[in-house]
Amino acid sequence: MHTLEPELRALHAEGVTDDATTARALARDGGQVFSVHTELRATLYAGVLLVTSGVGMILARHLDRIGPLGIVAAIALAALACAVPALRARRAGRVPGTAAEYLLLLAALLASADLAYAERQFTLLGPLWSWHLLLLAGVHAAIAYAFASPLVLAASLTALAGWFGVGGTLGDALHFGRSTPELGGRALACAALIVAWRLVDRRVRPGTRFTDVFDHFAANLALWGAIAWCLESPWLYAGLPLLAALAYVAVRRGLDTRREAFLVYGVVYAAIGLGAAIAPRLHGLTVQLGFVLIVVCAAAATLWWLRRRISEPAP
Amino acid sequence: MSRWRPTPGEERWLAVAAELGDAVPRESLAERSGGWRSTGLLARSALFVLGFIAAALVVGILRAGDEATLLIAGLIAVLAAEWLTVTRRLFASGIEEGLGVAGYLLVGAWIAMQLEPRSGFASASLATLVLIAAGGAAGLRRLNPFVTTCAAIALVSWIGSTTAAGMIDGVIGRGLTVLVFGVALAASALALGAREYRRPSHDRMLDWLVATLPVAAWLQYARWSMFDPTQVAGGHGTGRPVAVVLLLALGAAMLWTGLRRRRHAPLWGFLGCIAGLAAELHGALALATETWLILCGLVALAAGIALERYLRQPRNGMTSAALTTREGPLDLLQIAGAALLAKRVGPEAPPAESTYEGGGGKFGGGGASGSY
Repeated sequence: MHTLEPELRALHAEGVTDDATTARALARDGGQVFSVHTELRATLYAGVLLVTSGVGMILARHLDRIGPLGIVAAIALAALACAVPALRARRAGRVPGTAAEYLLLLAALLASADLAYAERQFTLLGPLWSWHLLLLAGVHAAIAYAFASPLVLAASLTALAGWFGVGGTLGDALHFGRSTPELGGRALACAALIVAWRLVDRRVRPGTRFTDVFDHFAANLALWGAIAWCLESPWLYAGLPLLAALAYVAVRRGLDTRREAFLVYGVVYAAIGLGAAIAPRLHGLTVQLGFVLIVVCAAAATLWWLRRRISEPAP
Repeated sequence: MSRWRPTPGEERWLAVAAELGDAVPRESLAERSGGWRSTGLLARSALFVLGFIAAALVVGILRAGDEATLLIAGLIAVLAAEWLTVTRRLFASGIEEGLGVAGYLLVGAWIAMQLEPRSGFASASLATLVLIAAGGAAGLRRLNPFVTTCAAIALVSWIGSTTAAGMIDGVIGRGLTVLVFGVALAASALALGAREYRRPSHDRMLDWLVATLPVAAWLQYARWSMFDPTQVAGGHGTGRPVAVVLLLALGAAMLWTGLRRRRHAPLWGFLGCIAGLAAELHGALALATETWLILCGLVALAAGIALERYLRQPRNGMTSAALTTREGPLDLLQIAGAALLAKRVGPEAPPAESTYEGGGGKFGGGGASGSY
């Protein structure tokens, strides 16, 4: 254990911190106030993950025994049951709590699995099957707006990215090996749509909680798309300036909102793009590695400098 | 004042600055913290990776085809890290940590390669032990809990590969030595955590051990028990009951300590024990995997809901509400986690016999053909 109580009291005695700040910090330091919010979120996330995994396995293994209609109906009922706490909170005029929001996410995911299963079994949309990703994105978005849930909005944006044919997660964004200019174009189009959606959302609902979710998705998809353009000529000549512009926007956003995630996006994606675009065009492995080393060192120095800027007090 | 690392007093002021954030003017703490400069978690992680990559690139550039390359590259990386520490006064900034850890590992790899022919210690690879020691030394030098924890987990794994562990396993059950050692290490860290430490980083190192070792040790045990026929339900193996008892005892101690000390690390350790227990009980009860997953998921959800309701109004200062509205790395993790879950349950391409063609991934929906 360690306690910072002497330092906190010294700051207060010197008048550096006010009474309220000191009292709060002392209470947290001494454990008089203790939040299990993070542990709670982890437990709920694990619950959602386990249930969706179990349902996925049931869908894969027990088709014949239960029958498609039975499965569709059972999962729909389960999804509805999961949405009950959020519905009750909404009827009471409250924003759903952490547990209710995770249950709502589970409801949305179960509905996704149900819809995907129904589509696969009954081929409702026929050759237009992939459009049901767009349908899912719409349904999830409606749920997200109805319950003001950023988590369900993330599910909606993932489905939207899936409809565009690009992954919606960071892991997908880092699969540069399978990136092509065409895929990059679609990632950029998806990012543009998300940015437009974000602008409309902010205009219509000034107190929105969704801006961060839109920002993270748009930044990752756009920067990934730009890198995909940097991998092949002649796209490279458009990709590099675009990457520079997007990295600048991400860094600007990070500085304005004092959020280091956007600094990391801007600097790291720019370094990857620069290395991927230029290193293969250099002759000799030593020169290539030397160039990448310079890029890495420059990226580290830039990120350090930018991070220091958001630590400084606002002018 | 030290040039090589912050004194305990300076490190404490750095911790105060991190705790208070914008609530206190930075310049009022800069002098007290000895001018040492740190950064946020995300930037630190990114800089750590960049530092590590830089050291690996030095190896690539110097590639001379002999082992001395490892030593030279390692020394360059270590010296670069020390230069950043001494001249720029960087502490827990990521870049000097990445360089330092990679440098120590490279030097460790060079030492390991000098141990010719492939030598062993109790039939386990001595080279691996040297690498673990190098990692541990780097973690202690940089006061980095992540690196020391990785070294401790690797040590637990290494212990399991020794002849002595194999002999003990033969008596008590396969993989149990690793679990017993890991649980003992976690329990020791938990007990040591009761002491008061001047350096916050020493406390954090113990916290990381407490939080991660139970699940790490269990995972290494599970790797063995999964393939052991005596561990199946109804078998005569003693491994599973011992594992259950160990996890139960450690979990109870973690929960009790976490609540009593009001610390997060023991609670995370408790959750790790619960995860291990759930998996062990699944093997013992012989339920279908999907049923067990759903059952465990429902229990986790029910526990979460009950906990949130119970602590909605703070009880003895304990609450389920967040204490800050600031966006942190966990919020980002939550969004990424939700996206990952959505992708897992998302639809797949139609079966192969379908006459539908994916449209070659063209824009307008056909892009979801999964052909990329």
